[in-house]
Amino acid sequence: MTTAILTAGLVKSFGRTRALDGLDLEVAAGEVHGFLGPNGAGKTTTLRILLGLLRADAGRVELLGGDPWTDAVALHRRLAYVPGDVELWPNLTGGETIDLLGRLQGGLDRRRRDELCERFRLDPTPKCRTYSKGNRQKVALIAALAGDAELLLLDEPTAGLDPLMEAVFQDCIRERAIDGLTVLLSSHILAQVEALADRISIVRHGRIVETGALAELRHLARTTIVADTDVPSAGLERLPGVHHLDVDGTHVRFEVDRDRLAAAMQHLTDAGVRAITAHPPTLEQMLLRHYGDELTGPDAVAVEGADDDPPTVDHPGR
Amino acid sequence: MTAATPGLSVATGRTEVGTGTGALLRFLLRRDRVKLPAWTASIGAFALYYAVALPAIFGTEGDLSSVAPIATGPVGALFGGPGYGYDELTIERFMVGQYGLYFLLTAALMSILLVVRHTRAEEQQGRAELLGATVVGAAAPLGATLILAVITNAAVVVVVAAVLVVNGYAVAGSAVFAVGIGAAGLTFAGVAAVAAQVTSTSRSAAGLAGAALGVAFVVRAVGDLIGENGSLLSWLSPLAWSQQTRAFVDERWWPLGLSLLVFGVLAAVALRTVTRRDLGAALLGTRPGPAHAAPGLRSAVALSARLQRPAIIGWAVPIGLGGLMYGGITRTIDDSFADMPEEMLAVMGGGEDLLRGYLGTMGFFTALLVCVFALLAVHAARGEEAAGRVEVVLATPTSRVGWLGGHLAVAGLGSVVMLVVGGLTLGVGAAIVTDDPALVWELTVAHLVHLPAVLAITAVGVALFGLAPRALGLAWVVVVHAGIMGFFGPLMDLPGWVEGLSPLEHSPRMPLAPFTATPLLVLSAVGAALVAVGLRAFAARDLRGR
Repeated sequence: MTTAILTAGLVKSFGRTRALDGLDLEVAAGEVHGFLGPNGAGKTTTLRILLGLLRADAGRVELLGGDPWTDAVALHRRLAYVPGDVELWPNLTGGETIDLLGRLQGGLDRRRRDELCERFRLDPTPKCRTYSKGNRQKVALIAALAGDAELLLLDEPTAGLDPLMEAVFQDCIRERAIDGLTVLLSSHILAQVEALADRISIVRHGRIVETGALAELRHLARTTIVADTDVPSAGLERLPGVHHLDVDGTHVRFEVDRDRLAAAMQHLTDAGVRAITAHPPTLEQMLLRHYGDELTGPDAVAVEGADDDPPTVDHPGR
Repeated sequence: MTAATPGLSVATGRTEVGTGTGALLRFLLRRDRVKLPAWTASIGAFALYYAVALPAIFGTEGDLSSVAPIATGPVGALFGGPGYGYDELTIERFMVGQYGLYFLLTAALMSILLVVRHTRAEEQQGRAELLGATVVGAAAPLGATLILAVITNAAVVVVVAAVLVVNGYAVAGSAVFAVGIGAAGLTFAGVAAVAAQVTSTSRSAAGLAGAALGVAFVVRAVGDLIGENGSLLSWLSPLAWSQQTRAFVDERWWPLGLSLLVFGVLAAVALRTVTRRDLGAALLGTRPGPAHAAPGLRSAVALSARLQRPAIIGWAVPIGLGGLMYGGITRTIDDSFADMPEEMLAVMGGGEDLLRGYLGTMGFFTALLVCVFALLAVHAARGEEAAGRVEVVLATPTSRVGWLGGHLAVAGLGSVVMLVVGGLTLGVGAAIVTDDPALVWELTVAHLVHLPAVLAITAVGVALFGLAPRALGLAWVVVVHAGIMGFFGPLMDLPGWVEGLSPLEHSPRMPLAPFTATPLLVLSAVGAALVAVGLRAFAARDLRGR
């Protein structure tokens, strides 16, 4: 397995704000890699460095075996990019923009382009100035997907799309992933990352705080157990590895570390378990573990890098 | 505050269309708390400059009579106005007759930008939607904007009148002149209000109102040219109404009634339209365009050409029309300038060949305009970067140098086109009236010879764009300096190096001056070096937002 993207100790400051603070990211060729974190964590800055639009202050970056700053043009023949804030030329139509961007990338498949317009329900004839944010994003997405890039860099590519279009987007990525396309998907939509990503990296304050396959990360984290027992199961609170215990008569709810799961189950069995559900940690729980303090803390603002919105965590339906 | 503005409850079936006007007005005053005082102060400073500078230059009324030929000649009519009271020229009459027009143009421009900024631009950006969802009537944003225009123009009137009176100008003349400025401003506020209903983008709204201002200028220029103290044609132009008040001669106020009447009618039309149409709609909507790009649109250079095409056409057409017009009056100039004072002739290269001196000065003027175009093109590149549009281009296999170089190449080609158009049209115009077809060729060369200087001036902007993009505006200093040196340098008795700093002073003022290659080579080398610095610096820096 070759590496498509590798950064080590990446540092980037804007004035006094440190957007990236020793970021180590590794993306294998052929994988869809979820790049998770709230606004301002440093995702956009990382992508801009990977594109050679910004130059890192310190650290090592390698993209498709080259240096994104010095070999920008050569590397860009092999990748496509969808920015988070898609800004287009107001007096070009959507169709003209798609064709232009596709051709600049080195050509686009006309049939696939028309098919994508159809699937994303984009009318390519209006001028870009009349497009909503979602439609501008579709233009950039179609141009990126209609080409033959081997690497896609996507910065919150569906932030302006509705759920139906989100599904189309996921289908398109899955289809292309089968062909071996590498995708770095920056996102704060957990459902999207869970659905698409082979591996994820969670970024916080310009550093990667967690990285690995989703399943692997789940193994490391706690399992949530909800159970009803015949008699109140006393003594659970004394078990090592049990957290967030919530007892309501014979109804209990708690989280337990993986290696203590057997002991906890034994305890519930002893109390005469009648019903039990156990579920692995959601991505949301994992993210909250890293960001929980920010969401509850008094200074719940971290302004960093190019995106300067206060951090928010999206968790649709999970 | 929910006071409905009187007269706004037109029969549209909608009620309370003026609700919120007062609150919005206070909001607009707050948003423009720097901009509008700055405009007003600038116009006031403009008045102060003339009030102080003219007596300093001319001293006594006797000296003034020596410039009377310029004022009374066709150039005075074209660029000044109907010229009342020139038979007994005073400083006041000269000021109003020669420079008053520029106060009117400034006030009109200020009002156009003010109205478009607060109406169509807000709608286009979607901010009007946010306001429209609150307790604000459909006519309130436009109503508040028009009231703001009245307040701002009133402030201009007060400031200009005060400055003139303090400097010893007669009260009656100062008052009618100052009110004339405000009246012209208001008329074009009305024009802009209607333009904002007609077009769907702020750029086209400002463009339409600006075109109306241009037409008003030309109509009164031609009108004033064909008749003493203006002609019937002049009266078709709103600018003329403010000039026909005969300030400092024997004042009459009634022409300003026309201005206010037109403002009232235009404001009513705009308010009526705004209450009847959908938010965001326009009489001229945006039409759908092609679903596929033309085969040629396949490179960053092609994109630059596409983006700059409207600007190039928009500059080349007026330059061409101006060339024909200025060329066409060559004969008259030659006759009427013959007995001008020595110093004035120095600006045009002395008195021995007035005709070619005049045409050379016009060539310089065109070159200066081309500098403005080219520097604006550098600003456009910066705009692409600041708005984030360049990101998607640079994420493709397009190098920084390739993108910026292509953009500059298009701007350079545009500059060549404009110089050729300016030279050809001036030459054709002049050739027709002087029966000297050789002028066509001579003047085309005389224009193109300025290309290295245009390059050098633009290159200052390119270097700044690379090294310090947020300081790009500083490049205008070079253009302004070049303009002052070219038009007034010979009058100002400055040390040689001050004039020498202007690149345009080094290109030979053909056809009067002979062709010299050395300065052109030096200018080209300086320009190329600065462009190289800018390209390198841009390739080596981070992309920067606003």
